[in-house]
Amino acid sequence: MAAEASTTATKAPPAPDTVSLTIDGVGVSVPVGTSVIEAAQRTGVVVPRYCYHPGIPTRPAQCRVCLVEVEGRPKLEPSCTLEAQDGMVVHTASDTANDARQAVIEFLLVNHPLDCPICDAAGQCMLQDYAWVTGQLKSRLDEPKQVMGRDRVADDILYFADRCIICTRCVRFMRDVADNDSLIVAQRGHKAYIDTFPGQDLDNPFQGNIVDICPVGALVHEDFLFKARAWDMDPAQSICPGCPTGCNVTIDTKENEIVRLKPRWNPDVNSYWMCDYGRKRLVMSQRGVRSETPLVRGEADLRQARWGEALDWLADRLRALGSAGGRAIVSADSSNEDLFYLGLLLKRLGVDSTMFTVETGPTAALPGVPKLKLRADRAANGAGAEMLGARRVSRGDLNGANGGGVLIVLDDALEGADQFWGADADLFIYLGTRRPEAARSADAVLPTANFAEMDGTFANWEGRVQKFAQALAPPGAARPAWMVLSRLLARLDDTEQAVNTAETAFDRMAGEADAFQGMTWSGLGPKGAIAPGAPASAEPAGPAAPVANNGRPGS
Amino acid sequence: MPGKVKVVNRPESEASYVRAATKGMSITLKHMLDPRKKTQQYPDEKWELAPRHRGTHRMEVHEDGRAKCVACGLCPTVCPVNCIKLVPAEDENGERFAAVYEIDEFRCIFCGMCQEVCPVEAIHLGVHYENAEYSRERWVYDLERLCEQDHDVTALWDPADKASQ
Repeated sequence: MAAEASTTATKAPPAPDTVSLTIDGVGVSVPVGTSVIEAAQRTGVVVPRYCYHPGIPTRPAQCRVCLVEVEGRPKLEPSCTLEAQDGMVVHTASDTANDARQAVIEFLLVNHPLDCPICDAAGQCMLQDYAWVTGQLKSRLDEPKQVMGRDRVADDILYFADRCIICTRCVRFMRDVADNDSLIVAQRGHKAYIDTFPGQDLDNPFQGNIVDICPVGALVHEDFLFKARAWDMDPAQSICPGCPTGCNVTIDTKENEIVRLKPRWNPDVNSYWMCDYGRKRLVMSQRGVRSETPLVRGEADLRQARWGEALDWLADRLRALGSAGGRAIVSADSSNEDLFYLGLLLKRLGVDSTMFTVETGPTAALPGVPKLKLRADRAANGAGAEMLGARRVSRGDLNGANGGGVLIVLDDALEGADQFWGADADLFIYLGTRRPEAARSADAVLPTANFAEMDGTFANWEGRVQKFAQALAPPGAARPAWMVLSRLLARLDDTEQAVNTAETAFDRMAGEADAFQGMTWSGLGPKGAIAPGAPASAEPAGPAAPVANNGRPGS
Repeated sequence: MPGKVKVVNRPESEASYVRAATKGMSITLKHMLDPRKKTQQYPDEKWELAPRHRGTHRMEVHEDGRAKCVACGLCPTVCPVNCIKLVPAEDENGERFAAVYEIDEFRCIFCGMCQEVCPVEAIHLGVHYENAEYSRERWVYDLERLCEQDHDVTALWDPADKASQ
């Protein structure tokens, strides 16, 4: 491909909207206006960068680490602001460029404390990486290093001034993407440091992103401080469950606990960012006492049972009831596969009323990325639940009387319902990650895995179906609801099969549910795909409502 | 019926114990007088170990008694047998410190990589070999116990002095 591109660079007349250039001997055609650093990335060359970030529109070209040599130009040029031009010949790693880069790194290290052993960025630090690459591993400095200490730029973000290389990514993210002027560079030269503007606090619902874009360990989130080394963590590609936006995130776990969340790039959903509410929500979703063992109704009380025993018992009861009707309550935090398999069971039982409720909260918008908002709903998969035939109702309607038949609750917390709720149903099955007080009269309580503990898909506000991968092991005997329900179905119907992977469950859903018609698990890809039955966009145009409560829960 | 017993009549010089005893005592005497070999009077006399002997660990401490460890996590990372457990935390001064630091000496293979990798020269192997314990649990040394050890620390191999002389 490189050779082919190279010939087009020299022979074929370029299309009017593209330019062809050669980078490190490889020809590449890029749209007009592309910077050399981005053009280089297309050829697989990653030019070192600190101040350049693809998600931040401003390019101050101040870190000087992306300097490249361009043939015919007297000096090195910063590749982040250098626009690719036709016929340009760029050397990103020539001796001149490497020497300049080494000098830049050496200057950055003049006052850098080199406290890598206790720095949370060690292992994923761009200063560490480039210092290693440039090969200047011995300091030539005799003078003592300047010590500046540490500060708190926001109530949950610490700033280690000594480690900072003043790339100003954080300042520019707040100013140019989040439209917030409270973060500034104070002082100049070697005394420069990042601070909040005098009299202002950094208090923005998207401020957590400045920690993610910090190329060194200068900005550290307090929740992650000294928690884990970069190489100790196991990453899982997941979806934030905080709101219907469905931001793509990476869940970093260590010893089966979530230690950190990082937004994952998806240009169609969240770009490079996510909100602070989502970060907190995901971590909080793992707290508390979980339901870990299947329970079935014994003589009087619930008794523990093995999965096979519980499902056999339940299948017997359901067979005896036949097509009894009733109603189902689902949670908008459940995955599409969970909801689909519940739907299959409900069809068999003659239950045609499926409802869910979603709590709402304050919204927040990121001005630089119009699609990325903290939306009002506080659940990830409301759209998916509606696409699979569930009806959205208020909490009051949900907790109303049931009136006979089967009552199946899938992971709804049943807030506000008392402990006698559900006793009027002939058979009350509670599948959930936790066991609320209101499930006390349930005939069977089946522990399920939450989204972080299984594979699956969510449909976001615009009907984009996105995959998430398992990050944690489920507690105790808890298993994904689709897995449990498919086994219950297999007991009721010989033609049904027990399902073991989310992929099988999804592909079956895509074959049978109209809203997901024609989709495939592998076809979803890393960026997700809009479902055919996606709801017509209900997103109101114009700026989002002002942020109340800073978008954080309980603060 | 009593069996027949063959009676061997050896000459006096062969049958006497004096000859054998003298021979044995002469070996004993030879060892007593030999300047090169001697029986060590352990435990009254201790074995003298090489400075690079790798025995049970010891944690270096600051003057105020705090462990020098900064909980960087390199020793559990480099340990080939996963015998080091470390939980870092923030102390009252905002510094990183090891809230939990345990070495399972039973599992340890005394390779010395933890000492080599330590950026602050806190964890060391020790010139030490007396480790008998009554229970396996006692072999897991916590931070306090590692700090209390007072034996010499192991000298690292010096590439400039390959024979360690």
